[in-house]
Amino acid sequence: MARLADRQAFERYAAEAQARWERLWAGDHWVISVGISECSIAKGALETYRHLELLLAQEGIPATLRRVGCAGWCFAEPFVEVRAPGAPPVVYGNVTTDRVPDLVHALKRGEVKSEWALGARADEPFAGVQPLSQHPFLARQRRLLFADAGVIDPESIDDYIARGGYRAFLKALFEMTPDEVVAEVKASNLRGRGGAGFPAGIKWESGRRTQAWPKYVVVNSHEGEPNVFKDRRLLETNPHLVLEGLLIGCYALETPYGYNYIGGEHALAVERFQEAVRQAYELGLLGDNILGTSFSCHIRVRTGGGAYICGEGSALMYAIMGQRGQPRTKPPRSVEEGLWKRPTVLNNTETFASVPSIVLNGGAWYASLGTEQSTGTKLVTIQGPVKRLGVAEIEMGMTMRELIFEVFGGMREGYRFKGVQTGGVSAGPLREDQLDVPVDFDSLTELGGMLGSGGFVVFDESVCAVDFARYLMAFNRYESCSKCNPCRLGNPALVEILDRIRNGFGRPADLDIIREGAKHIIELSLCGLGQVAPMPLLGMMKAFPEEFDAHIREKRCPANVCPIREAALVAAGDD
Amino acid sequence: MANRIDRDEKIDLTPLLEVLANRFRPRDDQEAYELIVGACQEAQRLYGWVPPEAAQAIADHLGVTINRVYGLLTFYADFRTEPPGKHFLWLCHGAACYVMGSSRLIELLRDRHQLVDHGVSPDGELTLHVFNGCLGVCDLAPVIQVDHHEYWGRLTPERLEAAIEALKRGDRLEDADGTAG
Ligand SMILES: Cc1cc2nc3c(=O)[nH]c(=O)nc-3n(C[C@H](O)[C@H](O)[C@H](O)COP(=O)(O)O)c2cc1C
Ligand code: SF4
Ligand code: FES
Repeated sequence: MARLADRQAFERYAAEAQARWERLWAGDHWVISVGISECSIAKGALETYRHLELLLAQEGIPATLRRVGCAGWCFAEPFVEVRAPGAPPVVYGNVTTDRVPDLVHALKRGEVKSEWALGARADEPFAGVQPLSQHPFLARQRRLLFADAGVIDPESIDDYIARGGYRAFLKALFEMTPDEVVAEVKASNLRGRGGAGFPAGIKWESGRRTQAWPKYVVVNSHEGEPNVFKDRRLLETNPHLVLEGLLIGCYALETPYGYNYIGGEHALAVERFQEAVRQAYELGLLGDNILGTSFSCHIRVRTGGGAYICGEGSALMYAIMGQRGQPRTKPPRSVEEGLWKRPTVLNNTETFASVPSIVLNGGAWYASLGTEQSTGTKLVTIQGPVKRLGVAEIEMGMTMRELIFEVFGGMREGYRFKGVQTGGVSAGPLREDQLDVPVDFDSLTELGGMLGSGGFVVFDESVCAVDFARYLMAFNRYESCSKCNPCRLGNPALVEILDRIRNGFGRPADLDIIREGAKHIIELSLCGLGQVAPMPLLGMMKAFPEEFDAHIREKRCPANVCPIREAALVAAGDD
Repeated sequence: MANRIDRDEKIDLTPLLEVLANRFRPRDDQEAYELIVGACQEAQRLYGWVPPEAAQAIADHLGVTINRVYGLLTFYADFRTEPPGKHFLWLCHGAACYVMGSSRLIELLRDRHQLVDHGVSPDGELTLHVFNGCLGVCDLAPVIQVDHHEYWGRLTPERLEAAIEALKRGDRLEDADGTAG
């Protein structure tokens, strides 16, 4: 494959890719697509794929068998999409290898097997199958970043280009100055998706203003929180979208140096992003003098080794530089002094992935989505015993109740909703009566919650609030980098007090000691980990005071989780 | 991968040196530092842990000190500087798995198999890493990834016990991911 020399060469290439894409969906052969992602592999998607390959050959069915990415519906993996000649593509859920023969034989007989279908890619119902867009999981979503998730092959740059990929980068490169790109991102009011919600445009602008070279642009794909899995799904299902956002970021900062720092555990995300980089080099969308312009860009992929703290900006940069990933005091901020002491713009994976559509459609268009202060769409994941677990993309401002009970389908059979933990290990939970809050940056914060990275944990009556608080505190204790004392010593102390309470030795004064200790940790810690580490505990105490009370005063764990029961029995001389 | 390696067994560095020569070619000092973690990850993929000889080979290849390499090996939770047991259990202790009962699995492994985080069971069969993050397959929570490819999902202490029995016998657990029921 020769490098594309200029814009015309790209246009020709894109036209060919598009024509191939259209031919794929028009001929009188079958097109069968299998979603291959981390979570579908765990449920046997590779076996399904191999089985299909074998059976299609055996039955002599003329078919193109494709691999696509995940579409966010973890609950329906492994999924298979079948387009029979003359019919719209139909998506089937939970097609494990044992179901493959039934499915293929039925389809061969001309039956649609509607009972296994999630939906048809059509505007009207087809042979008893509803349009996919009306599936309750998808009906309320607004998909920009996930628009082609499960549609394109993540390992094919041609698929991405056929669907309009790299158009935004070309528009920026040939029709806009770097300042104009930054102006659009500012106008979009896109706020950082990694947790803090800082406006990306303002960060890019400060990065431009700092007069030191070289500069660096870095994607934060570390995703080490225990409560979210959206960035890796994005990288697995549409890696070129993130790469295009990063390219635009490098162009805006006028730098040839881009990085993606990916959590080492996310093996498939790393692999697919690396493959995307390789393909972009091959085509000449990365490298020197891209498409004949003076703009050059080189991307390096670096991986983490399982330390949550390396997601924090300054720690991440030390980690890239081959040092232990520990945060430093600020200022200077990273946009002044980051990687190799040079100006560095760091944004979350999802933040970068949102940029192409902003450049293509304009900042004002993006700002019209979502709410006034939280514009655009947000990837959210819900964990816990809900019916339709997965990744959804919603417009900001949908209520938490709609999100949990409509999009994610509410609680599984046999589970009763008790609360939803927001902001992962950095904020507090919401109770049932608070669920009408809009899901956006500011509304959740007002209730002591947090949008954070968009990972929410639904929990049921079998989870004890004290034990859950201990779990979240213990996470922060374990992940503390031990650089500063309030965090290094304070968090273990809080865990110790919680253990006392869990074991039935809590004292009424303990709650005040927790509040006092938490205050010190929050005010005196060096970085964002320590500064919010006690928040989940304080949040649990506020949301479920009666449970803390029951443990401390009545020596009883209402959910029957804590070791308190045995302790109380021993104390009573009973066994 | 992750086969049992006795401490006195000699490590064959050839595959590592090959990977280093092919894929780890820093153009300057900065890049050499940037590549240490990745090189250690390759070593762990090859040997199931990072033996001292491998750490030294990485340091030599990249032109950095061995202290720097161990500084990173001991900082990150993913690395092992001790040989693993025969099978590798990666137990997810992310929030979904916690809510669905991963604590009970950790207790069971500790009480019944004398197996704790980063440890090896006394019979040398099992190594456990408790992952303080999300493995990304929450629909299977609580979940354990076994020997880097298979998943045991929707585990209860009873199913985990059965799965371990099967693993030690060399069998596969029926409905391993737990989604058939
Ligand atoms: C302990 C800690 C862990 C973090 N982990 C991540 C992470 O995994 N991914 C991420 O994008 N941001 C993470 N952040 C936030 C980053 O410091 C930074 O604010 C963010 O990457 C900036 O990108 P954004 O403005 O696009 O959100 C973390 C912050 C802290 C304090
Ligand atoms: S607050 Fe905690 S994680 Fe942050 S620098 Fe201090 S010890 Fe490290
Ligand atoms: S929390 Fe265990 S797989 Fe996500």
